[in-house]
Amino acid sequence: MIPAADARRIAAVTAALAPVPLLVTAGGATYQLRIFVLFLVFATFTVALNVAFAHTDQLFLFLGALAGVGAYTTALTAEAVGITAWATLPLGAVAAGALGAVVSYVAARRGMTVIVLAILTLSVQLAAMEAFVGMRDVTGGSTGFPFSGLSVDFVADAVGVDQRVAFAYVLLGLLVASLVGYSRLRASRWGTAFEVVRQDPVAAEAAGIDVVRTKVLAGFLAAALVGTTGALYVQADGYVLPSAFAFQAIDVLVLVMLVLGGSRTLLGPVVGAGAIVLLDELLGEVGQWRTAALGVLLIVLFLSFRRGIVPKAREAYDSYVGDRDGNDGTSDAS
Amino acid sequence: MVVATGLEVAIDGVARGLSFALLGAAITLVFGLGNVLNLALGSFAVIAVVVAVAVAGAVGSVVGGAAAGIAAVALLGLAVDRTLLSSVYRSEGEERIVLGIFVTLGLAIAIDGVLFVYVPLTYSIAHGVPALELAGVAVRGSTLLTVAVAAPVLAGLFGFLDRTRLGTATRTVVHDETGALLCGVNPRRIRTLVFVLSVVLAGVAGLLRAASSDVTVAAGFELTVFAIIVAIVGGVRDLRGTVVAGLGLGVVITFANFLVGAYLANVLLFGVAVAVLVARPEEIS
Repeated sequence: MIPAADARRIAAVTAALAPVPLLVTAGGATYQLRIFVLFLVFATFTVALNVAFAHTDQLFLFLGALAGVGAYTTALTAEAVGITAWATLPLGAVAAGALGAVVSYVAARRGMTVIVLAILTLSVQLAAMEAFVGMRDVTGGSTGFPFSGLSVDFVADAVGVDQRVAFAYVLLGLLVASLVGYSRLRASRWGTAFEVVRQDPVAAEAAGIDVVRTKVLAGFLAAALVGTTGALYVQADGYVLPSAFAFQAIDVLVLVMLVLGGSRTLLGPVVGAGAIVLLDELLGEVGQWRTAALGVLLIVLFLSFRRGIVPKAREAYDSYVGDRDGNDGTSDAS
Repeated sequence: MVVATGLEVAIDGVARGLSFALLGAAITLVFGLGNVLNLALGSFAVIAVVVAVAVAGAVGSVVGGAAAGIAAVALLGLAVDRTLLSSVYRSEGEERIVLGIFVTLGLAIAIDGVLFVYVPLTYSIAHGVPALELAGVAVRGSTLLTVAVAAPVLAGLFGFLDRTRLGTATRTVVHDETGALLCGVNPRRIRTLVFVLSVVLAGVAGLLRAASSDVTVAAGFELTVFAIIVAIVGGVRDLRGTVVAGLGLGVVITFANFLVGAYLANVLLFGVAVAVLVARPEEIS
């Protein structure tokens, strides 16, 4: 079960996003659909980073590598075994999840601080990029290979919509499922364990919470979600390219989205991803400046806006509503 | 023949190692002093190269260009220290470390973004140092130049830290900030000095790289990563360890490049970093 307030929020977001693919493609606008798909993919990545980084202080700087592991595992095993990629997608998710769990386990066991885990995962990320590009026989090197194994033609044909529109709904489904899962996790005893471990690992251990297990669970879930999303991302692109999994292409964006939207909130990742994707579109006019703008945004966010949009908006709303319904007022559960 | 080739690769490795040592030292100095891991270090190196190439073309002197490149990064380093890093230094402990990562990462992305717009080409420096052949062992001019520049710079760095009053003050701040304060040393001033010094070291490393191969804006992040790995392997607060690690990794990577190719050599480098982090996570915290 998920808390009623979360259920309402998820329902509202779903209702707001559901018509978008049909609306934007009504006039045949596939470009807008592409933007929307990117938004869904990155919002889901951000939900995952929220669990790993914001809740359990595990600064994963290898989301690109995890997404790549998910995508390559899914695509390559499907091709090697000769079955549909939908059957190998769980394998991709588990492969990425296992990598995340191993890293979390080693980090927790060795008592790594945030910065050590950050550098460790960044090293893994860069090694993975070298591997994706370097293992030409397997991955097709930097030119990659076309991929359409996760196509949903059969559904699209049955319903009578474009395949890409149908696929946008698959991604929306994954985002909504990840939000529901996140809400359940946060409301469960694991959610309490996350909170205690984050605030004081020593006290948590003393209170009988298995800190290593808690962090490994968070690492596995986050990594598996990133792996799944990565596989769906390459289907949306129609191509598996190593450059899609680069540190600058995924990790930097997702970090900005998480902090901008609001850490440890349900809708922060969605709001942050939406804001950055929109901003990126607006900057499209002056496209060459987008990288520089992103860097400046990262600095400004961390120096002066670390609480994020959702908590700020919530504060503003609460002070506006006053204590009309006091029970839900200042809680962190937005 | 095999011996001669092996020697050539080893000499190249030492030169690369000296460059690595410069980069690693730049990370170690700033992290040891103020707990800021400078993820923008490589971007400073690229700026030095770009300015050096532009000025060298304008004034017709490679040395003049190099001097201008170094001066440019020193000024930029000073500006960054007085503005962004001042904000970072206001927080303490783990908070400062995390803030430092993100602010310098943002700075790296911002600098790279601007450079991509204005200087999207590849840059190299025509140093004009001739190759040398000695008893069948050929040494490239850029290798000679690297050794001739990097070795004295590193020696000068140690001389500064060991022999001068300011250097002693710097080491005092590293060991005991409160004690330094009581002795009349202003830690913030020292941090500024050392940050500028670190970007100058990075600038020198960048110029040397541009003397041996083409440098693009994308090389900035790569240089940063090399620098961090060298610093980690050497023990991130230990300058001598960092220099030794730089030399060692330089030789190992150059041989790996020669024997198994660039991709595997880089994977090996990251593997070493991961292994060291797993073995000694308490080194950097």
